[in-house]
Amino acid sequence: MNATARILWIAGSVAVTALLILGWQLIADYGGIAPVFLPGPNRAWAALVSGFDGGELTQLTGATVERMIYGWVLASIAGIVIGALIGTSRLAREYVAPMLEIVRPVPVSAFMPVVMAFLGLTSTMVLVVIAIGSIWPVLLATVHGVSSVEPRLVEVGQSLRLNRFKTMWKITLPNAQADILAGMRIGLTVALILAVIGEMLTSENGLGWYVLQAARAYHSADLFAGVIVLGVIGLVSNLALQEIERYVLRWKRR
Amino acid sequence: MCAATATFQGSEATIMNNVAPTPRAGAATAAPLIAFHGVSHVFGTRPVLQDINLTIGKSEFVCMVGPSGCGKTTMLRMVGGLQAPAAGEVTFAGKRVTGPAQEISFMFQDYSKALLPWRTAAGNVSLALEANGVPAAQRAERIKDLLGKVGLAGHAEHFPAQLSGGMQQRVQIARCLAQEPSVLLMDEPFGALDAMTRQALQDEILRIIQASRTTVVFVTHDLEEAIYLGDRVVALYPNPGRIAQVFEVDLPKPRNQLTTRESPAFLRLRRALFDFIREGEA
Amino acid sequence: MKLLKALILPVLLLVVWEVAMRVSGIESDSLAMPSQIAVAFYEALRDGTILRRTAETLRAALTGLAIGGGSALIVSIVFGLIPAAARLAQFSVEVLRPVPAVALIPVAILTLGFGYAMEVSLVAFATFWPVLIYGQSAIVNIEPQLLDVSRVLRLSTLGRVTKVVLPATLPRYFVAFRLATAVSLIVAVTVEIAANPLGIGYELMTASQSLHPDLMFALVLWIGIVGWVLNGALLLAQRRLFGPAAMVELAR
Repeated sequence: MNATARILWIAGSVAVTALLILGWQLIADYGGIAPVFLPGPNRAWAALVSGFDGGELTQLTGATVERMIYGWVLASIAGIVIGALIGTSRLAREYVAPMLEIVRPVPVSAFMPVVMAFLGLTSTMVLVVIAIGSIWPVLLATVHGVSSVEPRLVEVGQSLRLNRFKTMWKITLPNAQADILAGMRIGLTVALILAVIGEMLTSENGLGWYVLQAARAYHSADLFAGVIVLGVIGLVSNLALQEIERYVLRWKRR
Repeated sequence: MCAATATFQGSEATIMNNVAPTPRAGAATAAPLIAFHGVSHVFGTRPVLQDINLTIGKSEFVCMVGPSGCGKTTMLRMVGGLQAPAAGEVTFAGKRVTGPAQEISFMFQDYSKALLPWRTAAGNVSLALEANGVPAAQRAERIKDLLGKVGLAGHAEHFPAQLSGGMQQRVQIARCLAQEPSVLLMDEPFGALDAMTRQALQDEILRIIQASRTTVVFVTHDLEEAIYLGDRVVALYPNPGRIAQVFEVDLPKPRNQLTTRESPAFLRLRRALFDFIREGEA
Repeated sequence: MKLLKALILPVLLLVVWEVAMRVSGIESDSLAMPSQIAVAFYEALRDGTILRRTAETLRAALTGLAIGGGSALIVSIVFGLIPAAARLAQFSVEVLRPVPAVALIPVAILTLGFGYAMEVSLVAFATFWPVLIYGQSAIVNIEPQLLDVSRVLRLSTLGRVTKVVLPATLPRYFVAFRLATAVSLIVAVTVEIAANPLGIGYELMTASQSLHPDLMFALVLWIGIVGWVLNGALLLAQRRLFGPAAMVELAR
């Protein structure tokens, strides 16, 4: 497919999205649904603009993103370190790894009430839950990536007399980079989800609290504005990580 | 090296029929650099090597041939310190080999697995420098030299996946040279390459080690390659691996892909080796 | 032997946990001894609470999965058969997919109120995407010759779908639905914890808030078991139905 055709297709698919938004507008205007329940895109947009103009949405977005990033970074660092330790030790793989597999299928949100029992409805609680939740994908991916290193590469390290730490740093961890990045991408999605729920439950400052408040007050335009911002955060963070992956893993391309 | 003075017509391939290998007369030094003393090995319950005695002198180019299962790669790995023998010992410069050493460099057959795919050609060469503790400031210069030496000057920033098999194997040669080894262990390094590339790399290796007077132990299953490259060819029997015969190669140097391979001495030696291997298989 | 090694650490942890709490004599509102948890688990199982609540959660999760996954199945087939449709929808899909399902909880509450309907609709939204994406790649990966055959045989569109496309992609769709099942359980429990007074998640939340750590831990354990059994059963079915071929797809 040549470049022009590709651009046309993209333009076409954007036009379809525009049509969908137009359809949404028509339903809101003439569909007989009370505006309390369904705002048109025009009202949602107006709420979005005024929210950012007044600084309220800016501040809420900042709070949620900060929470999400903090928890995610903590989880990623811890996940990579612990995962590397487990993945490189045969002993840990035999004794510890199976336990991780047992805990894995527990939906992470189920840990929230547990952490809440210890830390109460606080922002620390939310942060801890985000960290606990988003550590899993990173941890398991790291264990997998580190333990599936090509044996020949380990021999290359041996024959160059790399010590344990250097082997880890120069061979084993880079070997796991694709897995780690994939795990981190999932971890970030989980972090956003948990940040939103955490804010809903604790009424901590953030978009999760904001959308729930808006729904309770029947401010449907504000509600949709908040949901749109959350969608954009999800979209942008995912795209950013995909881009980072593309760059870091450029050696895979031929 | 020693045969370089012999004229083409006058050179003869001497075939030694005694099984006990001795250092070649006129080898660079009298004292052996590498020695196998009564080495035996088993994988599980299967014996792979049986009572191997072999010495290799400094600056010698020794090729090891034999059918699969003759333990030639295992012998190489023992010299490289990647595997310890079950019985007997392997010595390097008089000392028992207990692990990989800086002076001994190992070149693997499967280049696609032996290079770090996430590092560029330069980065892969750099790995050996990093391992040797070369300061970061000096690395770039050395890498450039080494890549130039193996004919990859323009490919420093390419990743292995972007290089052909021959080029990847050149990167591995450069990485081995970066270690500044006195011994180069090569495990069927050109086995997976096409004929043209293989010949080019054979000459490249001869050129490079001639300048540095590096000792080479070269495992191959290609008899012609063994004769073309080696000062000596060690032929092994399989199951369990034993040294069957050692062939002296008195072909003039530098060798030439056309004239050397067409010389009567080369053909005679090839014939002898070929017959010998076929007997072994029968 | 492998199982034994795997069990050593969890058992050890439980013993240490139990002994430490007994020796120190801590009375906690947030932590319970393993033995207490076991008792609470047994009690809740016997009086039927756990099973009733689990049934509620599974009902919401599986209904949502049927709606979300089912419509994704149809949409992905349409996209697979009409590539132009897939291309035109691409932007909308890319924009909608990253919206976290939990962000829609307030929207669902506002429009549908509390109860099954809102939980089902959120599960449906969340499970729609994985099935759509996996399904599309399944159809793209159909052996082109098979489609040529169906063309040569001049099968109708319906015939093509039922006789070629679906059988050829069934293993991959099964994998997609297996993953979506896990998603459905996660979303259902999450919605219950966050807002909906229903199901096992709500029970867990209540246990936490009413300071019953024994029941709380028992429920977390139970949710894990449910997820584990569900996934295990589907894995087993997948292996039985499609053999190792389907397992390979999973690695991607």
